[in-house]
Amino acid sequence: MRSSLISRSGRGSGSAWSASFRCGGVKENRLNFTFLNGAFLFAALAALLPLLIHLISRRRVATIDFSSLRFLKELERKRIRRVRLRQILLLIVRSLIILAAALALARPTLKGSFGGGAHAKTSVAIVIDDSASMSRENGDMFSDAVGLAREIAGLLDDGDEAYLIGAGEPPHALLSDGTFSPDVVLEELEGMSTGPAATDYSSAIELASGLLENSRNLNRELYLIGDMQRSGWAAAGADQPEAYADTEPVDDTEPRTYVLPLIGPTVNIGLPSVSVERRYGAAPGHFAVTARVSNHGRRGAEALVRLFVDGEQAGQAGVELDSGGTGTVRFAATVRESEWHGGWVELPDDALDTDNRRYFVIPSSRRTEVLVVRPDSGDGLDDSDYIERALDPGSSGDRFSVSVIGHGALARQDSDRFSVVVLADVGRLDDGSARWLDRHVADGGGLLVVLGNKTDIRHWNSSRLSELSGVEIVAPVDRPDGVRLAPALRGHPLLDGLVFGERLVDDILVRRAFDIRAPEVEEVLELPGVGSLLVIDRKRIAEAPAGLGGEVAVLATGIDPSWSDLPRSGFVVPLLHRLAERLSRTSSRPASVTVGENLLVRLQKPPTGRVEVEMPSGRTVAAELRDIPGPAATVSATEPGVYRFSVDGRVVALGAVNVDPRESDLTPADRGEVEDLLSARLVTFVGEGARLEDEVLQARYGRELWRAFLYAALVLLALEMYLARPRFA
Amino acid sequence: MPDESYRRFLDPVVVSKLATMELRARLVVEGFVTGMHRSPYKGFSVEFAEHRQYMPGDPLKHIDWKVYAKTDRFYIKEYEEETNLRGYILLDASRSMDYASNGVSKLEYSRYLSAALIYLMLKQQDSVGLMVFDEAVREFVAPRSSPTQLHTLLAKLDHAEASDETDIGIVLHELARRVKRRGLVILVSDLLDDPDRVLPGLKHFRHLKHEVIVFHVLDPREAEFNFDADATFRDMETGELMTTEPFSIRSDYVGAVESWKAHLRRECAESRIDYVPILTSTPYDRALFSYLEKRKRLG
Repeated sequence: MRSSLISRSGRGSGSAWSASFRCGGVKENRLNFTFLNGAFLFAALAALLPLLIHLISRRRVATIDFSSLRFLKELERKRIRRVRLRQILLLIVRSLIILAAALALARPTLKGSFGGGAHAKTSVAIVIDDSASMSRENGDMFSDAVGLAREIAGLLDDGDEAYLIGAGEPPHALLSDGTFSPDVVLEELEGMSTGPAATDYSSAIELASGLLENSRNLNRELYLIGDMQRSGWAAAGADQPEAYADTEPVDDTEPRTYVLPLIGPTVNIGLPSVSVERRYGAAPGHFAVTARVSNHGRRGAEALVRLFVDGEQAGQAGVELDSGGTGTVRFAATVRESEWHGGWVELPDDALDTDNRRYFVIPSSRRTEVLVVRPDSGDGLDDSDYIERALDPGSSGDRFSVSVIGHGALARQDSDRFSVVVLADVGRLDDGSARWLDRHVADGGGLLVVLGNKTDIRHWNSSRLSELSGVEIVAPVDRPDGVRLAPALRGHPLLDGLVFGERLVDDILVRRAFDIRAPEVEEVLELPGVGSLLVIDRKRIAEAPAGLGGEVAVLATGIDPSWSDLPRSGFVVPLLHRLAERLSRTSSRPASVTVGENLLVRLQKPPTGRVEVEMPSGRTVAAELRDIPGPAATVSATEPGVYRFSVDGRVVALGAVNVDPRESDLTPADRGEVEDLLSARLVTFVGEGARLEDEVLQARYGRELWRAFLYAALVLLALEMYLARPRFA
Repeated sequence: MPDESYRRFLDPVVVSKLATMELRARLVVEGFVTGMHRSPYKGFSVEFAEHRQYMPGDPLKHIDWKVYAKTDRFYIKEYEEETNLRGYILLDASRSMDYASNGVSKLEYSRYLSAALIYLMLKQQDSVGLMVFDEAVREFVAPRSSPTQLHTLLAKLDHAEASDETDIGIVLHELARRVKRRGLVILVSDLLDDPDRVLPGLKHFRHLKHEVIVFHVLDPREAEFNFDADATFRDMETGELMTTEPFSIRSDYVGAVESWKAHLRRECAESRIDYVPILTSTPYDRALFSYLEKRKRLG
């Protein structure tokens, strides 16, 4: 019995459902006349045909002159009246034949327990929540769900049909063609297990309803078995069940829906996100790992978070969390720069173990290739010189590898080589160079545009650069007395961690800059008296991972002594370093997705051989190559962990796949919310203590009446033949 | 034109056949001797019948002087007379007689039949008259045996058109009152009238010692009612309409017609009226000859 399977009431916060358990039972028990093939009811209109034919025939009756009607009159009282009555009877009988046949085809059905009803054939769709949240308590909750499903399968009778659907994202039908064998259902149930995916009840119910639509059985039933996790009811990208506030009228064509909620502990701490950042100015190989921790319980809690890199613990930290709150834990990690590294942050075991790890990847830290593009002509020092010197390897500690070219040579460069391109006071760009830059940014590369003396405002505003950067140049702004740069820079995240000597920054004056407009750019550094000094915009590229391309930054003042004190101040070095580092991150940003999505990683260059992926479970599969633009490889992320992409045995990229953080919130939707979401259906909540068998079988009673109508049609046909027989030989 | 009527109604083949036929009155009729019918009256005739003793007041010209010479007594000669048969052809020209299902209406048929009878009787040197009627007498020609009577009567037949409703009873009674001398009344009609009005009229003639022959002319469809499809029937005389399924009521209809004819036959037989049912599908000459031969056989 179900009570033996559902024994978790009292633990956790199951009060939203416990009240309903005591009043379990079928919502309705009424006599209901319906038609299984309602479309054939239109055929009943054909019952009007005999009348139409009769009316048309009457109009066509000929008028015959006859010598005398005296004998006809004599017969009228008896015979002709009988003939008329017979004609009317024939008309009625013929109409009834057609009507009875049409109704038989429409499969009329009397449903309900009215004593004497027989078990009507039933099609059932069993939707089981096999998402990550159902693995709580070492899988006991899922075992309970499977037990209920077995009970339902045990109620199947001859001619009954069954479908089995898993509600883990994406909803999947294990028996999409249905089966008439309860043994097959039991076999499939044995093979079911929870996965790392999140729940999607709505799509699963839709899938189940779609499968039941094709059923020809009298009864159609949908069983929903799960923890009713609130996050599982929201459509992708939508909010919680409040979005489904409108109540719809019950649609009789929808299958009868039984909701079998399972109660379990809901207190859970999860890891909704983890990020890895190279620390600004830190030594090579030094990274900051930041983990967010969420508390889904009703009480405050403490969490101990441990960091693992390459399988070894690299740190641990504690965090205090309010009820329903989140906290942040930061770790510092040091790794060999030339290699890819994977790791995770981990929580202790709690109600749900599946979400206690969050994986991340640290990309191999190679020197950032920077391409500085200078104007082709010009004597003496210009912006590119200062930039080159600021990013000089000697000063950057092998952080950057700088190449300098004239702008005419840009289009001939290898676009995959450079992480950052700096346009140093390049006046005009040809179309080929513009296209090159387009691809570079779409590929995730960063672009820094330093305006200066050679900037052609008109060309800029009509060129691709304006579109790429989101910047429109208005006019140069001169401040002969100079504007202090310091107020704008202090506290800016770009310079986070830098320690300035006061004179280092305070003495920097900006005497000339361009007045630029960037209405759609969010990240803007304003310099009072000048305007927007620095804008950084992230380009959105649909095909790129997370839909993001590289960043484009525009510095409105030149790296030129005539424009500002920047070139001669020591500050230009960390400024440009930070900018280059920032702009290079997209191209080297490690890939991280949720289970069920496709994991796509950028490759440094097109692979020479097959790209293989080692899954977290150890299984190896072939990756699919893509050009997004730029070489990339993708694989379906079916399990959480670190995925290793290799070419000829050499690891070329790592990717992290994590459980959907929505699964961490084990809070169930309460009965009222579920009722609202299923308001268009006839829903029965089967709570603990209720006899599933009783509730189900009562509703299944019914009788198909098509045979009766068919027999009636045959009897009427015989009557018609008798009435229509020739009366005069 | 009389010649045209003659040619129209008296086919040479029919005429030649009629030459061999006779229509004798079974019952004795009054009349003078010129024809084949014997008169019940003993008067002056062609054949000597017997002597009787002279009574004062008898015409002196009838005294047989030879017998006086021998016997010295006065005797009167009595003779049997061959008198003319007075025939009356009664032609029903009501609208119902215009019905035709096979191209020949009852009226047309009756005209031919009447013409043959007229010819036959005139050939026998009988007197023939004609009455055309519907609900009243429309034409009446007194019986004559003159050579021009044939043409006169044929012309009347030619002009007879169907019109109005039927009232045979009244017409028969009217003629019965008109006709003073016994004769042969031949009714040619479809008798589509109330038998309770028709039969008394016929019996009236019998009461007046006339001999009556009834040629009951019907169209085959009237007798068999063999219509295939539902139809609305319109009475040709009254214009009434009635819609029915002929095939459904046919048997009953035929039964009703047969029953009606049987009633007429029975009543006619009781009154010693010859009842001759004819369908227009039977050639009129065949029908007539058949009747005449039968009549001759039966005496």
